[in-house]
Amino acid sequence: MSTRSEIVKLLKDGRFHSGTDMGRALGISRAAVCKGIKALSDLGLEIHKVSGRGYRLATPLQPLDKRRILGHLSDKGVDLQGGLDILESVDSTSRYLLEKLNAPPIQNAVCLAEVQLQGRGRRGRSWAATPYSNLMLSMAWRLQSGPAVVSGLSLAAGVAVARALDEYGVRETALKWPNDVLWKRRKLAGLLVDVTGEAAGPCFVVLGVGVNGYISEADAECIDQPWVDLQSITGETVDRNHLAAIVIAHLIRMFEAFSKNGLAAFREEWERRHLYNGKRVRLIQGDTEFQGEVEGIDETGALHIRDDGGVKKVFHSGEISMRPA
Amino acid sequence: MDIRKVKKLIEMLEESSLAEIEIHEGEESIRISRTSSVGETVVTKGTVAPAQSRGTTSEERDTGASAPPGHVVTSPMVGTFYRAPSPGASPFVEVGVEVNVGDTLCIIEAMKMLNEIEADKAGTVRAILRENGQPVEYGDPLFIIE
Repeated sequence: MSTRSEIVKLLKDGRFHSGTDMGRALGISRAAVCKGIKALSDLGLEIHKVSGRGYRLATPLQPLDKRRILGHLSDKGVDLQGGLDILESVDSTSRYLLEKLNAPPIQNAVCLAEVQLQGRGRRGRSWAATPYSNLMLSMAWRLQSGPAVVSGLSLAAGVAVARALDEYGVRETALKWPNDVLWKRRKLAGLLVDVTGEAAGPCFVVLGVGVNGYISEADAECIDQPWVDLQSITGETVDRNHLAAIVIAHLIRMFEAFSKNGLAAFREEWERRHLYNGKRVRLIQGDTEFQGEVEGIDETGALHIRDDGGVKKVFHSGEISMRPA
Repeated sequence: MDIRKVKKLIEMLEESSLAEIEIHEGEESIRISRTSSVGETVVTKGTVAPAQSRGTTSEERDTGASAPPGHVVTSPMVGTFYRAPSPGASPFVEVGVEVNVGDTLCIIEAMKMLNEIEADKAGTVRAILRENGQPVEYGDPLFIIE
């Protein structure tokens, strides 16, 4: 484990720790501790320094711990055959798995990272996440069908993450087409799916999930939409190891059901959880805008909207929002 | 060849800056070219009736054996066509580039799923038939590889 991670482990309680004490505990010089603190601050971790007392985190955190995650999974009877890679820092957890897929395909391989340097949202938008404080998780899966058939997976995955958050104790989440997870209309989790393979199948899917655990003020400034994090919902430090295990278990269950029955197994629940079900919305697709009432989704996951003239349109991409009065 | 496909090809040529598209599909072949003098679109094809389109004249003629074969890569799904992995990044391929089977040609995004479309034939990219960010339908021709 790197010095940086060792320092985070010492600081995780949010109390003061002096540079001298930390250096002694880690067997390194005070200067090396100082260098590690600087590196962590540069990554976006909020560390306060008070002379005479030492360093402390702005808010306590729970570092990811492979043993604990596997322990939670084993309690749930989940066997992660594809392996679990916990990285201290990576450009993107999904990209890491995609590159790994070039080797023999790994079924249900999971990657988690403490720091994501190039976390992605849709179409090049970045995914903002304060280091050591959020859930950034990707899972690989091999599906027999081709890309056209797996389109509904994106929505099924949204249902799986919403179920996971229910189990973690966060009720009142809702989905926003295609798969944003919202809490009181604010974004709590997002998903992005990378698909490779031939049209006729099989195809490889890497599902990337980001759940906001704790977002610092500085990182919040980079977010261009209403958002919320688990720490402000629950008022507690996020048990990221427990959360990771819950999300992994729900994603595996989702992939298994989707492989057999596709979106059909999730469609009804998706509609029930959809915040905009039957609502009047605005959908923006590139330069064009469409307004109407949400009718629901079809078997591919496409969104059906009926305009005021009664004309129905089917959308496969676009950004929806509540239509202003 | 389906008349709707021909119509689509004409529309695509009109929207693009290409001078000519030639496509072979089994025993059928079609060549659509813009006549340089007036900028009209001319349809030349093997076996199917000529198609008419806005500002378009059509004529029927055999393409002959000398026409270079072109393999059309079509869209396996409905979505939005992207030529690069992210905005600002360089495109996966350009016209004139050699590709191997399995090389990524583009991404089609639908419902936050980024589908990498791979070359199913090796050769040189002769034409890119869609603009970045355009919506595409199932079966739309995207690339011609020769």
